[in-house]
Amino acid sequence: MDKKTVTTISYLSRLKIDEEKEEKITNDLENIIKFVDQLNDIDTSDIEPLTNPLEKTAKTRDDIVTADNLKKELLEIAPSSNEDYFLVPRVVE
Amino acid sequence: MTWETVIGLEIHAQLSTKSKLFSGGSTEFGAESNTHVDLIDMGLPGVLPVANKEAFYKAIRFGLATGAEINQVSSFDRKNYFYPDLPKGYQITQMTKPIIEKGSIKIFADDSEKVINITRAHLEEDAGKSIHDLFEGETGVDLNRAGTPLLEIVSEPEISNAKEAVAYFKAVRQLVTFLDICDGNMAQGSMRCDVNVSIKKSGDKELGTRAELKNINSFKFIEKAINYEIDRQIRVIESGDSVVQETRLYDSEKNETRSMRSKEEANDYRYFPCPDLLPVVISDKELQEIKESLPELPEEKEHRYISDIGLDESEAKIISSSKTMANMFEEASTKTNDVKLVAKWLVGDVSALLNKDNIDIEESNLSPENFGKLIERISDTTISGKIAKSVLEEVWESGSDVDEIVETKGLVQIQDESILVEIAKKVVESNPDQVTAYKGGKDKLFGFFVGQVMKETQGKANPKSVNKILKKILN
Repeated sequence: MDKKTVTTISYLSRLKIDEEKEEKITNDLENIIKFVDQLNDIDTSDIEPLTNPLEKTAKTRDDIVTADNLKKELLEIAPSSNEDYFLVPRVVE
Repeated sequence: MTWETVIGLEIHAQLSTKSKLFSGGSTEFGAESNTHVDLIDMGLPGVLPVANKEAFYKAIRFGLATGAEINQVSSFDRKNYFYPDLPKGYQITQMTKPIIEKGSIKIFADDSEKVINITRAHLEEDAGKSIHDLFEGETGVDLNRAGTPLLEIVSEPEISNAKEAVAYFKAVRQLVTFLDICDGNMAQGSMRCDVNVSIKKSGDKELGTRAELKNINSFKFIEKAINYEIDRQIRVIESGDSVVQETRLYDSEKNETRSMRSKEEANDYRYFPCPDLLPVVISDKELQEIKESLPELPEEKEHRYISDIGLDESEAKIISSSKTMANMFEEASTKTNDVKLVAKWLVGDVSALLNKDNIDIEESNLSPENFGKLIERISDTTISGKIAKSVLEEVWESGSDVDEIVETKGLVQIQDESILVEIAKKVVESNPDQVTAYKGGKDKLFGFFVGQVMKETQGKANPKSVNKILKKILN
């Protein structure tokens, strides 16, 4: 775990890291990874990966429309919207 | 230096379910903005997605029709990226255990058959829609489409040129529409594709660096975008540079592809199993029921048309090429004893009109019912073949009902032979020179007399009756 990796993952998760905390966070992450890395010492070659700790399978639903039109309510709780759309700072393609 | 092209396609087919993949929001196209948005589609805190069974069934239909392996246990992963039309900040998709693996599909390109292997087909949710040009300095977001189920169909890199890529896309589109799992409507975005293109020296084993062309939604643009991209990569390599692995956007107005560097920076999706969703299990019984519900597929139809109905191979191929065309054939065949007549009209006049307008049969004004009526009226001799042609053209333009056109325009065939005899006599009398020449051995002139009678009757005479009557008068 180096500074560059920390910068990259903080960018990917859109989290701003204060410069004075950078070293501490780098060390913390390093320790976390070392801790988790212990798992790599175990031979898991013939064990099926666990996709969910519940070890159950999903309930599914029938193909039925159940949602109400919540346009007004949903646009209202957004930080910015007009009568038809959610509005965000301009994204350029 | 000669170059070989290697192409792989990722086709996104929107599954024609009523509700979304993980919520009870409607998937209806063209609704007022943000009216089909459920709390789950919004990604609000505390909500839990529940998978739509029907989306799995539809995906499995595709798997069975392509001879693929069906994973009866499949699971979901999160693909993380930030974009305003993706409310949760991740897309739910199937990375590690897709529902479908290892299928294949037959294509026809340049008069030969080729099998393209399908690596996988997995379920995932669509994003919403961003509207960029409507608001000053802001982007509008419509989440109606967010959460709509997609089947992403990934081919092996086995496609060798733009024509094959188009043939492959067409084959997949034909199949999904026959299976009734996707409406295949490209203009509405129900089918879109990303194309991976790379080139390598002829004979090289190793693949070159690929570029990914994003979101192309017409057959014409697939071909153009690929051809442009191949030329570009050859230019880059021959000038001593190397191709960069990147996403490129095809600009149909300028006919060029250009780099989308903005997306590259974030090209680390950090997939991980979606903790909100348990693995979905399809029982043997469910699988069996889906198997039994599969419709007749294009290839089976083609064979049946040839062996049971006696169509020519070329006729059978054209008619089974689309679900609508096949429906028209089958509907109209119930209206006549002359099935070959139906085939003749579809492969002849209807196909000619399709070619002229450069459209697919689904986009035309001709419905299976109306075409059936046209055949019925030819078959019961209400109208002549010649009149039928003009009726078809009128239907093509306006979509009007065949019987209505025949009635309002007075196109009903003259059934009363005595009227035809009158007209034929008049034609013979007013063309004495031609009569003399005909009797003197110019047999070809017979056609002239038939033509004159048809002209007099404005095409409403039955050519067979006219032939018979004229023969009687002239010989």
